[in-house]
Amino acid sequence: MPKDTPKMAERFLRLLAPGREGEIIAGDLREEFEARGGGLLWYWWQVLSCVLVRLSPYRLTAPDLRQDLHYAVRVLRRNPGYAFTAMVCLALGIGVNSTVFTMVNELFWQPLPVPQPDRLVMIDRTGEESTCSYRDYLELQRRLAGPGGKPFAGLVAWDGVGTSLDIDGDSQIVMAEAVSSNFAAVLQIPAQVGRWFTPEDEQLGSDPVTVLSDGAWTRNFGRSISAIGKRVRIETQWYRVVGVAPPGFVGLSPPHAMQLWIPFTAQSYVRQLLANPGERERPRVKLIGRMASAIEMGAAEAAIKSVDTEVRREFPRITTSTGALIVSSAEGASMPAARAVATMIAALLLSVTGVVLLIACVNVANLLLSRVAVRRPEMAVRRALGASRWRLARHTLAEGAVLAAGGALLGLLVTYGANILLARSVPSLPHAGKVSMVLSLNWRVAAFAAAAALASALLFTLSPAIEYSRASSASSWKGEGAGMRRMRQRDVYVVVQVALSLTLMIAAALLVRAVQHARDIEPGFAMNHRLAARIYVSEPEYTPETGKLFLAHLLDTVRATPGVRSATISYTTPLSFSDSVCAAVDPVARPRRASSDTVAPGYFDTLAIPILRGRQFAATDQPGSPPVAIVNETFAKHSWPNQDPLGKSLWLGCDEKAPRTVAQVAGVAKDAKYEELDETPRRFVYRPLAQNWVGFVALIVETSGSPADFVAPLREVLRGADSRLRVYEIQTLEQYASESLWKVRWQASLLATFGGLAMLLAAVGLYGVVAYTVAQRTREIGVRMAMGAKQADVLWMVLARGLRLTAIGIAVGWALSAAVMRMLSVLLYGLSPLDPVAFTLASLVWIATAMLASYLPARRAMRVDPMVALRWE
Amino acid sequence: MSDQHLGEFEQIVLLAILRLAESAYGVPIRHEIEKRADRKVTVGALYSTLDRLEAKGYVSSWFADPTGERGGRSRRYFRVEPLGIEALALTKEMFDRMWKGVRLA
Repeated sequence: MPKDTPKMAERFLRLLAPGREGEIIAGDLREEFEARGGGLLWYWWQVLSCVLVRLSPYRLTAPDLRQDLHYAVRVLRRNPGYAFTAMVCLALGIGVNSTVFTMVNELFWQPLPVPQPDRLVMIDRTGEESTCSYRDYLELQRRLAGPGGKPFAGLVAWDGVGTSLDIDGDSQIVMAEAVSSNFAAVLQIPAQVGRWFTPEDEQLGSDPVTVLSDGAWTRNFGRSISAIGKRVRIETQWYRVVGVAPPGFVGLSPPHAMQLWIPFTAQSYVRQLLANPGERERPRVKLIGRMASAIEMGAAEAAIKSVDTEVRREFPRITTSTGALIVSSAEGASMPAARAVATMIAALLLSVTGVVLLIACVNVANLLLSRVAVRRPEMAVRRALGASRWRLARHTLAEGAVLAAGGALLGLLVTYGANILLARSVPSLPHAGKVSMVLSLNWRVAAFAAAAALASALLFTLSPAIEYSRASSASSWKGEGAGMRRMRQRDVYVVVQVALSLTLMIAAALLVRAVQHARDIEPGFAMNHRLAARIYVSEPEYTPETGKLFLAHLLDTVRATPGVRSATISYTTPLSFSDSVCAAVDPVARPRRASSDTVAPGYFDTLAIPILRGRQFAATDQPGSPPVAIVNETFAKHSWPNQDPLGKSLWLGCDEKAPRTVAQVAGVAKDAKYEELDETPRRFVYRPLAQNWVGFVALIVETSGSPADFVAPLREVLRGADSRLRVYEIQTLEQYASESLWKVRWQASLLATFGGLAMLLAAVGLYGVVAYTVAQRTREIGVRMAMGAKQADVLWMVLARGLRLTAIGIAVGWALSAAVMRMLSVLLYGLSPLDPVAFTLASLVWIATAMLASYLPARRAMRVDPMVALRWE
Repeated sequence: MSDQHLGEFEQIVLLAILRLAESAYGVPIRHEIEKRADRKVTVGALYSTLDRLEAKGYVSSWFADPTGERGGRSRRYFRVEPLGIEALALTKEMFDRMWKGVRLA
C-alpha cells in the first residue's frame, strides 16, 4: 500500500510556495508519489529542487526585477518633475559626500604615485619627529637593504625642509626634500628630463645638485630643457639643476607639494656635522623603505626593529630616546601633523555632508510617500488580486533604485565640479609652501558614491515601501482618506529636516562669528600700520660681522625714509611661525623648550609690546658684552614664582653635556600671541640679534600711512641698500594674522556652503509638504471661501501650517545644536559654542526661508476658485 | 530574432505539451520528457521553466477543478499559445538552416 506523503516535506513546500502554486506542485507530487508507490528520498529531493530553483539568483531577481525596473522607469518618465526633483536632491547629497570623500581618500589612502606603492613603508619613531641619525641610517641601510634575502630592497633617508630658492634674482620661499641618493631608485621614479641623484652627488665636497618638481620647472623655466645645468641658489649655496621629476610626483609629504629635491648631504649644516666622525646623533632623518618582494610588513618591521636595537647598543649615545620604531604603509598624508589636522577636518566635513544626504533622502522619501497616496487605490486593487506585500513593496524599491542610480550618476558630475572648486579653495598654509590637492575621481570615489546611493535608496524607500505594502485595508479603495498617520509622518520628516539643517546653519554661523571674534582677540602687539619684509643676508656676500653692519645701515636708511615711523628686525614674523630654544633656570635642571625669537633693538617699540620690568635690548648688547635675554610674563611666573626675575640667569641650549650660553634676564615683556591668535599663554624668550646672528630675517616697518601702499617703496629702499639682496615676501602684519586664521575661515566657508545647501533641500521638503496639504485640502479651501472666508484667512491657514512645523523644527534644532556644538569649540577661538547671536541669526534665516517656502503654495491656495474646487472630483 | 530563440529545455517542454494536447499538466509533462528525452526532470526545474514560458506568453495555464485524486488538489493544465508555436517554428528553422549540408562523417 502506498504510504502517505511525508508531512514535513509537504509543509515545507507549502511554506515555500504558498497559495495555488504550492497546491499544484503538492498535487503533482502526491499523484506521482502514489503512482510510484512511495519514495521518501525522491519526495524530499523534488521539494528541494523547488527550493534550489527558487534560491537561484536568477529566479530571485532577474525576471521580476526587470519588470519592476521597467515599471519604475515608466512611472518616472510619466512624472518628469517628480523624478527630476528627486534625482537632483540625491545628486546634491551624494555629490557633496563624494567630494569630501575624495579629499579623505587623498589624505589617508592615496598611495604615492610610483610603481608598486604598496611595497613602500614609512618608518617613524614614536614621540619624535625624525626616525634616526644619518649615520644610524647608513648602518640600517647596510645591514637591512639590498639583494640576497635582506628584508628591504632599499631604505631612503629624507627630511622635509622649508627653504629659500633664488633663480635669477627671483626669491621664493619653498618646500623641499633633502634625500639620500638612492631616493629615485628605491621609489622607482624616473626623471622627466635629465637625471636623479647618483652616489657621487652624495660625497661630501661634491658639487651640489638639485632636481626640480614639474611645477617648479614650469613656473621658473617655462618647461625649457635649458633649465638643465642652470645654477639656482638654495639658502647660502648654489646648486646645479640636473633633472626634473615627473609630473604628478610632489614628494613624500602630500598634501604639501615639494618644489625641489636636494641630496641630504649637500646641505651645509649636514656637511659641518658629518665632518666630525664621532657625531652619532645628528643630523636627523626620516626613513621610507621599499620592502623586498617576498617579505610581509610584519617581518620587515621585526627585522628593522631588531637591527635598530643592535645599532643603538653598538654605538652608545648621549641622549636616551626611548621611542620605538613604527612601520606603516606609505599612503595619504605622511606627516602626522597634516594627518591630525586632516582627521579633524574630515570628520567634521563627513558628518556635515552626511546630514546633507540625510536631508536629501528625507526629501525623496517624502516625494515617494506622496506617490503612495496617489497610487493607493491601484495598490489596494493589486493586493486584492493576490499580489504579495513584498511584490508591492518592490515597486517602491525599484523606483528608489532607479532614482538612486540616476542620483549617483548626476552626483558624480556634481563631485567632478565640486572637486575643482574644493581644490581651488584649499588655502596655502602660511609658511608651509603650496598645498597640492589633486582631487580626482577614481574607483574608490565611484564605489563610495554607489554605496552612498544604495544606502540612501534603502533609507528613503523603507518607509514608503512599508506604506505600500500596507495598502490593503478597505479604506484604501477610496482615493481620499490619506490618513492622519501618514500626514503626521511627513510632518515629522519636515521637522527633522528643519532641525538638521538649522544645526548646520548654526555651526556655520558659529564659525563665521569665530572668525570675527578672532579678529577682535587682542594679539598683544600692534598690527595696524605695520608690514614685514623677509630678507636673506648670508654668506658669501656677508659674514656675520658685515651682515650686522649691513642690517644696522639698512635700519638707519629705512627709518630715514619718509612715511616710516619706526623699523626693527626679528627672526620670526608674528603669527606666522615661531622658533624655540631650550631654556633652564639652573645648570642641573633638564632644559625645557620655550618659544623664542631673536630681535634687534627697537623691536618692542615698533610692535608696541610693553616692557613691564627692566629694559629693552640696547645697542650696547654686543657679542663681547654679557649675554642677555628678555622673558615674557608667563615665563617669569613659571620659572621664578614670587621672585624678581630681573638679573636671574638662564642656561640656553638643548645639549646638557655641551657648554651652554648663560644669559641674564634684562627685562620682562607683556605676554602676546606669537604663532596663533587662540594659543594659550606660552613661555617666551627674546634674545638680542647682535648676540645670536641669523641672516634670514624679517624687517618690520611701522608706517604713518597705509602699510599696503608702502610695499613698493620698501622694495625700492631694499634694492637701493644692496641690489643683490634677496627679498622674499612683503606683507602687512594684518595679512599674517588673517592667514593664520585660514583653517577656521576655510571651514566656515565650507560649512556655510553645506549649511546653505542643507537649508535649500529642507526648504524644498517644506515646500513639498505644504503644497501637498494645499492640494489635499483644495476642496475644503473652496468650501471655506464659498462660506465667506477671506483670501487672507486662507493664506494664514496655510502659512501657519508651514510655520508651525518650522517652529517645532527650530526648537528641536536648538536642542540638537546645544548638544553637539561643543565639539566645535576647538575651532571657535574662545567664542561660546552656545553663542546666542549665531543661534538667533541662523534661526532668523531659517524663518525667512520657511516663510517663502510656505508662501508659494499658500498663494496658490488663496487663488482657489470656490466653484472649481467644489466641482473637483 | 534572438529573444524568440528558445533554450533546449524550453523546446523540450513546449514539445511535450504539444504532444500531450489536452492532458498536459505537471505529472504527464514530466513523464513525457523522461520517456522521450531520457532525462530526469525535477518538479522545481519544470515549474520554473513553465512559469518563464508563461511570462513570455508562449504557454497559458488554467486550473482544473479539484478531483478526489491527489488529495483533493487541483491540476494546472498547460496549452501552447500561438507565440510559442511561432518561437518553436523559428527555432526549428534556424536549426534546419544550420544543419543544411552538414554531414557528420
